[in-house]
Amino acid sequence: MRRRVKLYLLFMIAPALAVFGAFFLLPLARLAIASAAGPLRFKIYLLSLTNPRYFTTLLNTIVLSVAVTLATLIISGFSGVFLTRNDFRGKSFIVSMLTFPLAFPGVVVGFMIILLVGRQGLIGDVTQSLIGEKAVLAYSLVGLFLGYLYFSIPRVIITIMAAAEKIDPNLEEAARSLGASPFLVIKDVLIPALVPGLISSGAICFATSMGAFGTAFTLATDIDVLPIVIYTEFTLLANISGAAALSIVLGFITWIALSLARTAAGTTVAAAG
Amino acid sequence: MMKKSKLFLAQLSLTLVVCAFLIVPVIQSVMAGLTVNYLIGLKSGITFVWFVRVWDLYRDTIFRSIMIGLACLGCTLILGVPAAYTMVKKQNRLTRLFEELLVTPLAVPGLATALALIISYGGLTGFRRSWLFILVGHVIFTLPFMVRSVIAVMSSVNLNQFEEGAASLGAGFWNRFFHIAIPNVMPGILAGSLMVFTLSIGEFNLTWMLHTPTTKTLPVGLADSYASMRLEIGSAYTIVFFLMIIPLLVAMQWVAKPKKIGVIAEKTETIQNVSRGTEMRKMESSPIYETVEEQRRAVSGTSLHLENCAKTFADGTQALKPFNLEVGAGETVVILGPSGCGKTTMLRIIAGLESPDPQGKIFFGDVEVTNVSIEKRNVGMVFQSYALFPNMNVAENIAYGLKVHGISGENKERRVSEMLEMMKITDLRNRRIDQLSGGQKQRVALARAIAVRPRLLLMDEPLTALDAKLRDALRVEIDSLLRSLGITAIYVTHDQAEAMALGDRIVVMEIARVAQIGTPREIYFNPQNRFVADFIGTINHIKCKVFEDQLTFPAGRIPLKSAPHIHARENEDVEIFFRPEHAEVVEAGQGHFKATVAASFFMGDHTRLILDWTGPDYLTIEAKGNQSFRKGQKIEIRLDPTALLTLKV
Repeated sequence: MRRRVKLYLLFMIAPALAVFGAFFLLPLARLAIASAAGPLRFKIYLLSLTNPRYFTTLLNTIVLSVAVTLATLIISGFSGVFLTRNDFRGKSFIVSMLTFPLAFPGVVVGFMIILLVGRQGLIGDVTQSLIGEKAVLAYSLVGLFLGYLYFSIPRVIITIMAAAEKIDPNLEEAARSLGASPFLVIKDVLIPALVPGLISSGAICFATSMGAFGTAFTLATDIDVLPIVIYTEFTLLANISGAAALSIVLGFITWIALSLARTAAGTTVAAAG
Repeated sequence: MMKKSKLFLAQLSLTLVVCAFLIVPVIQSVMAGLTVNYLIGLKSGITFVWFVRVWDLYRDTIFRSIMIGLACLGCTLILGVPAAYTMVKKQNRLTRLFEELLVTPLAVPGLATALALIISYGGLTGFRRSWLFILVGHVIFTLPFMVRSVIAVMSSVNLNQFEEGAASLGAGFWNRFFHIAIPNVMPGILAGSLMVFTLSIGEFNLTWMLHTPTTKTLPVGLADSYASMRLEIGSAYTIVFFLMIIPLLVAMQWVAKPKKIGVIAEKTETIQNVSRGTEMRKMESSPIYETVEEQRRAVSGTSLHLENCAKTFADGTQALKPFNLEVGAGETVVILGPSGCGKTTMLRIIAGLESPDPQGKIFFGDVEVTNVSIEKRNVGMVFQSYALFPNMNVAENIAYGLKVHGISGENKERRVSEMLEMMKITDLRNRRIDQLSGGQKQRVALARAIAVRPRLLLMDEPLTALDAKLRDALRVEIDSLLRSLGITAIYVTHDQAEAMALGDRIVVMEIARVAQIGTPREIYFNPQNRFVADFIGTINHIKCKVFEDQLTFPAGRIPLKSAPHIHARENEDVEIFFRPEHAEVVEAGQGHFKATVAASFFMGDHTRLILDWTGPDYLTIEAKGNQSFRKGQKIEIRLDPTALLTLKV
């Protein structure tokens, strides 16, 4: 009777467990093993801190991700809250435009940046006609930064808009009835209510930026980020253990960031891009 | 009202700048893909030549992406939907662990996952070189999204109640999964499917590592075109990508929008006079009976016998202390008690949704059913929330139990029509459930439960969710219905007026234990303990001492011989109880004691008075007639000595 139901349920979850175990858990375990398979064994993890190239890359990636996260939170915070609380003609059009790039893979984002600030980019043409010099930013750190900003803003804006919509309007009205100015309302009611959403989307933004590959790949900058280094180690230098170790370090950092997001938001979140 | 202040303009400008940053390159790529020469711009003319080139060069990658996307969708549906169902229904360590683990492919960078796959399975060259290798990566990456989407919808829909409703109608596990669970989580499945397909089409991080020259996908092709082709070709290819993505995004937004439901409510639901013999509907081909008693005797219901049943939950709380219950065939027994007393637990034990503690036994007639599951017990169940299946209309809901029992075709249709007529909802036949009012849902739930001719009808607070007037009307209808059907019914409620009106006998429950079982009159006039006396109606109490053959208390005295049913010795402490209607307001000198009016409530046919007096508690009495009372007014009260009660506590 009830035992049969248990059997049926087991039968229903078994395929997913099997596929997940075989094609994800097992390979990850093998990745961890592979990282220690090289001549250095587990000391290879230390290498990520001691080897200057690895270390600068790791540092670059972290600093870039943090910078992108902060910029995105500020920009999306302003715009997101603004859009939630104001209704005007063309608003839904603007919202669709802001969220359309959500589905772009990193490569397309890179391409967008090239179109904007690349060698034949729009900004370059504008600056050329204004000051006579073509500004080409795409292949530098600025371009990378802009690219990461490009895929982060839509994600974070959506989260912030959802969080702002959930705020009880009565809270704000109560504050106003007690004499609070618009600025105080934002400071004392709005921002505290948004903080969990800001933390969680900030963590997602950080994690996504850390693991982003396509954008950096397309922009082919001189400055390397960790995913690119992992890629080159594996494909060009056949340094399997090194690539594996760096992947695990990268995965570990992203996983911590996302766990932080989950405890702050209380739901599961994802990094993709 | 918001003024268009400086703040507004500043924010608007910032937002527009961000918008431009995101959209201008999109427009650029669209233009680049359509013009002859990007550098010259629109002036060089519109052309589709780049699209033709893209088609030539990348046609197979586009098809491959679509193929992988669809295959990925199929895999995630087959793997993910049953897994999500299991994770919601059975929450134990294993499923919770799996739920946690399921997040990890999203946390681990695609690169790492791809690397891990290559290291583990790269050796299998056939596999490594085929598109299946990429498929595996996509499935791992998208499965969490499908599972999460389905779980989210499953948790928000009251699936458990629907499944219990289906089980009470006899539906087995697979029937419930395919006909109840899946249709009701369709929005989650749709949203998940769109998400999975969109993610698969656009996936790059994993795919770049996993692909080979013969298994390129669309994003891989895009990367190639950006690197090695003219800007115009890259742009045209990007436009193709946009064209594929836009309908998917629009569909996702449309699925996410909550749909408005409209309740088509009837005007007023008035009392239908079914109890008149001439309008009584016949069941099957039953003969006409001379009296209601005769009909009642030829019942279709079974008798119920619960022996030594108790219920202790897994965490140790004892929801029900051991009790016995006998219900005769055709009888209506009401289980009455305050919230949390265990009455619903008792009902669920009778239904078969919970099992009693090991030493308990349940009998339907002569057959022991203690270990029989609800699907096989043939009980009709009406839930507090009605549990009507939202994916079926009214007629289909009513027909569901019949279908499960193998009744189909003309027989089924006839029975459904019979039920619709009996409950007077014939014109609701094709209505959807979310278009029904509370009273209408109530009738449909009843019709569904009795369509399969159950031996026992179980109702869990069916009228609680309705407004007072509707409740009164439906109460009468349900009473007539139960009597005309001759069915054995167990009815759970916390409303004592309902219990008194409907029950042949009432089981009054205190927390976890049975306080008294009896007819409504027995319960009201002869409560066996203070709880029952207080729960049914109102009761007043006076602590007295017997002195010189009088019941004496500070405010007055009552001669013992006027209350011959009370047996007390001299000097004994006795507590007497009386109901509000057994006290009357009298002229000075004619009463047993004096009191002051603390509050008075005019109720129409009587005035309810709350009295302050020398005793510790307020007294509640009913004053007949149209005398009005002021707060603070001093009055004299006379009790009816023959109606005094002495009770155990």
